[in-house]
Parts: sequence; C-alpha cells; structure tokens
Amino acid sequence: MARMSRETRTGLYVAVPFALFIGLFLLYPTGAIIYSAFTPGDQLSLDGILRSLSGTYRQGFINSTVLAVTTALIGGVIGMLLAVVMRSLERPRWLHSSLDSWSAVASQLGGVPLAFAFIAAIGTQGLLTKVFAQVGININDLGVSPTGFWGLVIVYLYFQIPLMFLVSLPAINGLRRTWREAAAIMGASGARYWVRVGIPILTPAALGGMLLLFVNSFAAYATAYVLNPGGALVPLQIRFLLQGNVISGEEDLGYAIVTWVIGILMASLFLLTWLQRRTLRWTQS
Amino acid sequence: MDAVMKSLLKWAFLIALALFFLLPMLAMARFAFQSVPVVLLTPETLFTGWSIDPIVESFTNPQALSAARTSIMLAALTILLNLVLLIPLAVVTEIKAPRLRPYLTAVTLLPWVVPPIALVVGVAATFRTGAPWFLASVYSLVPFYALWAMPFTYRALDAGLRAISARTLFEAARSMGASMPVIVFRVLLPNMTASIVAASALTAAMVLGEFAFASLLLKETLPTFLVNYQRSDARNGLALALVILLVTAVGIAAVVRVLRRRGLNVQTTGI
Repeated sequence: MARMSRETRTGLYVAVPFALFIGLFLLYPTGAIIYSAFTPGDQLSLDGILRSLSGTYRQGFINSTVLAVTTALIGGVIGMLLAVVMRSLERPRWLHSSLDSWSAVASQLGGVPLAFAFIAAIGTQGLLTKVFAQVGININDLGVSPTGFWGLVIVYLYFQIPLMFLVSLPAINGLRRTWREAAAIMGASGARYWVRVGIPILTPAALGGMLLLFVNSFAAYATAYVLNPGGALVPLQIRFLLQGNVISGEEDLGYAIVTWVIGILMASLFLLTWLQRRTLRWTQS
Repeated sequence: MDAVMKSLLKWAFLIALALFFLLPMLAMARFAFQSVPVVLLTPETLFTGWSIDPIVESFTNPQALSAARTSIMLAALTILLNLVLLIPLAVVTEIKAPRLRPYLTAVTLLPWVVPPIALVVGVAATFRTGAPWFLASVYSLVPFYALWAMPFTYRALDAGLRAISARTLFEAARSMGASMPVIVFRVLLPNMTASIVAASALTAAMVLGEFAFASLLLKETLPTFLVNYQRSDARNGLALALVILLVTAVGIAAVVRVLRRRGLNVQTTGI
C-alpha cells in the first residue's frame, strides 16, 4: 500500500466524515426518492412522473407556481424599490442600520408565529378586518383572508420583501454615483438614466433575487399549513401523501411529486448562480 | 416643488411598508393580551381587559416547558454537529486547498435544492424501513437541521477564516513550531469567535422556528406544540408565539450587529 502523505491524511480525516454525513442524510434519501419515482412498482417507467402532473396534483403545481411567481414579482419589485429609496435617503442614519437588522429578522420569519399574526390581523375576527368593516369594506369578501390566494400572497410578502431588499442591496450599492453624474452631464434626465443605465445594470440582480424568492415561496410549508392545511399547494399535497391518507401503492406518486419539486428548485438555483456571476461583474471592483 | 413631491412619495412608501410590517404584530399582541372580542371592540372598551396573564400561563404550562427544552436541546446539538463537521473542513480547505472552495460552497448549498418538505419524504421512505429506531427519537431531527443550517454556517466560517488571513497565521504559527491542534485551538478559533457566534445564533433561530420536519415526523418541538396549543388555548398560544418571535428577532439582530462590527461580508440569507 502506498504511503499517504501527511496532508492527504489530514484531508481525509476532515473530508470523509463530512462526505458520509451529506451522503447518508441528504444524498441517500434524495436519491432513493428519485429512484422510486422512476421505477413505480419496481419497473422502470415514467407513469408516476407523468401521473403526478394530472388531476388535483396538476392543480397543486399550478397553484404553487402562480403563488410563487406572484409573490416573487410583487416582493421583488417592492423589495428592490425599498433598496433604491433607502440609498437615496442619507439623513436618518439609524433608519439604515435598523432596516438592515429588521430585514434579516423578517426574511427568516416564515412559520407558525407569522401565520398567527396574520390570522389576528386579517382573519374573519381580525383587527384590520374590523377596522375596514367600520368604513364599509369587507376585505374577506374581496379575497383578502388568510385562507384565500391574495391573503397568502400578503402573508408571504412579509418575508419576501425583506429578503429581496437584502439580496438586492449589493447591486444597488454597486451603482456608482459617477455614472449618474456622467449621464446628467450628457443631458440625460433622471428617467432616462434609469431606463438606459440603471435598470439594464440591475436586471441580472433583480432576476436573481426574484428566483430566490420563487424558490423560497415554492417550498414554504409551515405558513401555508397553519393558514389552510387542506389547500391545494404542492407542499401541502406532499404532506397529505406522506401521512398515509391514500390507498397503499400511492407512495410512488408522492415520490414523483417530490422529484418534480427537486427538479424545479435545482433548475432555479442553477439559473440563480449563473445570474449571480453576471451581477458580480458590476458589484465587484 | 418636484423635490418635495419626491421626498413625500418616498416617505409615504416607507411609512406604508412600516405599517405593513407592524400591524400584524400589533394585532397579534392585542389578541394575546386583551380579552375583549373584536366584535365588542369600541373606543370605550379599547383600554379594558388588558393583562399579561397569557404569558405567565404559557410559561408555566408543563408541556410548553418540555417542548421548549426539546427545542433548545435540538438547537444546541445542531450547532455542535455543524461546527464539528464544518470547522475542520473550512480550516483545511482554506489552508491547504483553497482551490476547492467553490466546490464546497456549491455542496453546502445542496440543502437548498432539497427543501425540508422534500427531504422528509425521503427520510421517511428510507429510514422508516431501514432503521426505524433512528426516527423514534426526537434527536433524529438534529442531522436534518444541521443540513438546513449548513449553507449559512459554512459561509460564515469561510468569511471568518478569510478575514483573519488564516493561511498567513497558519504559516507563522507553524514556522514557530506549533502543532496542528495548537494552531487550530489557540490561534485560529479564538480569532473566529465572531463568525462562530453569528452562525450559532442564526442556527438557533432557525431551529426554534422549524416546523415542517418536526410536524411531519410527529415530534413535539416548540413550533409543533405551538400549533396545538393555539387551537386549545388561543390567547396563550399567541402570547407564546410573540415571545418566540421576539427571542428569534433579538437573536438575528445580534447576528447582524456582530457581522457588521467585524466587517464580515456574510448574508444571513445564506446565498
């Protein structure tokens, strides 16, 4: 047996436990699902994969995608706008640092307590529901209830907007003031500067941020579960299949849905890292 | 005039957002601490029926305490596991093989591709048949929480190592004859406390709020207990939720402060 150098041995000591850990708890379970998804009933076939895109499950994918795209677009635009506005405001310095901290907090706040807060605010017995009722507007009838689509959008925006704010800060801060001055010297108006310089430079960062929001919202489980456990969203349907509420033999369907989710997220993250590399070109140096 | 308009618009936008973020929290606090139903809420009853009993009650509820203990233990074990796995890896990569760094960054991002709701299906399918004893314990959650916290933890450690130029420190210590354990424990780690503290606090915040895994594997942690508690005792449940929110918020805000003071360029988002 060839003698290993000291360095190779050190490398192995740290790499092997890590690789075993990732392999056992992440790759093995994930691989097993994907394998089962393509071999329903122990035979290689695409049945499960295709069946998981039909009927109620198709509706689940449509709903989840629409929800994720909607919150990514709205959250993306508002979050980015917030970053632009904050950059133009220099005066209250405390506002900058407290907004940074608050965004870090709020972007992690998806979950049970957040769902409770919105039930208290816009639920049927909610405080804001009552306030709006005073002026004759029933917001629940307008679709803004924690169980409805727009209600869910509003709840998700609570963590999507701060997340977008955080991820777009580097790009916004990368906009040099000199570019703006140069544009002004050549006679460009503020609007023209944004159309020809600002927005084109920010586009990769904005798309990357929105993809992150998409991933974040597509896989979100806790908030959706607490607000409406029976909703037709992919994460909730996975739970339904996992908890054995179906005839035996339907596990393969669950595996197929999970395989789709992993595929969608993987594609999004690949695209995201590619966009990030394009963004770095402007934010570095 | 135009400038005034612009600044007005900006402030209106900021105030609208502030309201959006504040009002749900205030509504929750009102439900928790005021025992007047919304229907009966009028200017006259606005200041009646307030009390902090729900907090006291939820803190003396034995089930809540045991759920909190479980969650705290889970957080501690998750942090420990992640540090034990990732510190040696990050140190060796930085000192001996910096060219491997991009690959490690990519690998530690894998948990984002397989979100908890997807991973839990695989875990149930493989471990329930292969090693049912493993899933019986509540601590079987630890490895999965560690995975979930890995993207941020690795980035924080990596940024910490780069900020102290670990390779130079390593070579300086080595040339003076220090052994590897001495270098790691007496030179590198004491200089990395900021990133270790930040990674730990953020991990703790994540574990305290994690719901999908615990709920689907039927474990009672703070968030899963909270859902049942709120159903049986709405006001106490909301009060407990507020406390959890506050603890999480303080923890993450502390992380941001530590990172900024040390000038570490790490995003709490893990990306």
